[in-house]
Amino acid sequence: MDYIYSILTLTGITMIGVMGTYMVTGLTGQFSFGQAAFMAVGGYVSAMLALRFNLPFAAAALAGSAAAMLAGLLVGVPTVRLRRDYISLVTFGFGEAIISVLNNSAQLTGGAEGLVNIPKRVDLPLVLLSVIGCLLLVACYKNSKYGRQCLALRSDELAARSMGIDVNRLKLVTFLFASAITGYAGVLYAFYAQYLEPGYFNWTVSAEWLIIVFVGGINSLTGAMVSALILSSLPELLRFASAWRIIIYCVIVLIIINYRPNGIFGDWEISRLWKKSAKGEKA
Amino acid sequence: MSAAQQSTPTSGHLEVSGLCKAFGGVQAVNGFSFDAKPGEIVGIIGPNGAGKTTAFNLVTGVYTPDSGSVVLDGVSLGGQRQDQIARQGVGRTFQNIRLFKGLNVLENVMTASDPYADYNFFSAVLALPAKRASDRQAAEKAREYLDLVGLCGLEDDRPESLPYGLQRKLELARALALRPKVILLDEPAAGLNPSEVREFIDLVKRLHERFNFTIVFIEHRMEVVMNLSHKLFVMSFGKLLASGAPEAVRRNPEVIEAYIGEEE
Repeated sequence: MDYIYSILTLTGITMIGVMGTYMVTGLTGQFSFGQAAFMAVGGYVSAMLALRFNLPFAAAALAGSAAAMLAGLLVGVPTVRLRRDYISLVTFGFGEAIISVLNNSAQLTGGAEGLVNIPKRVDLPLVLLSVIGCLLLVACYKNSKYGRQCLALRSDELAARSMGIDVNRLKLVTFLFASAITGYAGVLYAFYAQYLEPGYFNWTVSAEWLIIVFVGGINSLTGAMVSALILSSLPELLRFASAWRIIIYCVIVLIIINYRPNGIFGDWEISRLWKKSAKGEKA
Repeated sequence: MSAAQQSTPTSGHLEVSGLCKAFGGVQAVNGFSFDAKPGEIVGIIGPNGAGKTTAFNLVTGVYTPDSGSVVLDGVSLGGQRQDQIARQGVGRTFQNIRLFKGLNVLENVMTASDPYADYNFFSAVLALPAKRASDRQAAEKAREYLDLVGLCGLEDDRPESLPYGLQRKLELARALALRPKVILLDEPAAGLNPSEVREFIDLVKRLHERFNFTIVFIEHRMEVVMNLSHKLFVMSFGKLLASGAPEAVRRNPEVIEAYIGEEE
């Protein structure tokens, strides 16, 4: 039971991280190869504040998200002007740099040995509540003028500018929001696992989140969430075939990308169900 | 729209003078000038490669001019960003249609009014009443524009699934949602069949009557040019070749030579 419980908790945390990737990649079409670094920033900052200054969890969580957002600002300001492919390079570099910093400032962060004795403040109900809360925020964002303008600029930046959309600003706002959400995922992880090590946040995690978003459907938040749920619990469920599980995982991903290049859900959103029924009632 | 918009227009005076732009060794636009008075419909014609679209791109800020000035209602647009110029009331459509693919027809139109929507980030992510009211209003307005161009009932369709003629109309509706003082149409009738062209001419006339904005358009189809324009500017090799009333320009031998080639 404990085992399933922990899979669900970690899956929930991954879902929140994927929301950040979805916003950056799905909404504005930028490839973030360093998204997990924001999770590291959120996790480490909140954990260190709790350990060294005895900050209560809520305050530490807030500070963790804020710190991730600040890191987002640091990376975002120079990168929003860049072309898409360069953005992946910069975010990748930033992500690896963060890992190096964490590894090399051992007095502060514990270095490669990790940060230990973080108090346990997070359990499954809190994670579930957080997933729902973050999901609502992100869904509302997508469904607002911000989301529309993001999708517009992703499809055609020149036309978007011609419609009066301040493309750079919008990219930055979205990037900051995504960083804060991803940072919060880091906070949850730190206070759940009670232990942090830099290796957990390297680029393979960011890449995994990107894969999840692509498999679910680059245009669909619903798709990203469903595929996060499946793909992040899949390696655990395949544990009985431990030697083969990564291969099975990869084959599944390849099959989906090959036969459904727009992802499982394409641009379908679950909210269409109730939008449609509302329209039906009106008619 | 309001009564004020139906009276004689007072805004939308576009003055472009001495515009120059070189790409490497190619002088695409070389001292081109034109002006459009409030409420005027102005046509720009010229052979292919004369620099017409580049001139539009210079006016809307896609490119920065090497020299020359663009002034809208006494305010210089020079040095402003593309999106700032758009928000000051310069709407446009594109020669090769550029609709937003990830959005449906209604949302395509709404995006052009979104930069004016005054709710902030927090009301957006919390879906506060202010946001919902603003979005509802924007959607209503967008439906009105779609209705005007004849796209009623296609709100939920994907723009790329529409036939070509309707895509052109959708671009027009999207440009309307920007509430432009000046609207720039880049070959709006290209690719339309003869009956669609006639319909398009009527549509532009109807929209002009209703919104009273200034229209500047690039077009090759003489039917459109002669039917719509109050004033014509002819461009050739980046320069202004002739300008004036459409009939006079059409008879100008220099124009005939540049445009159709010398008569045998």
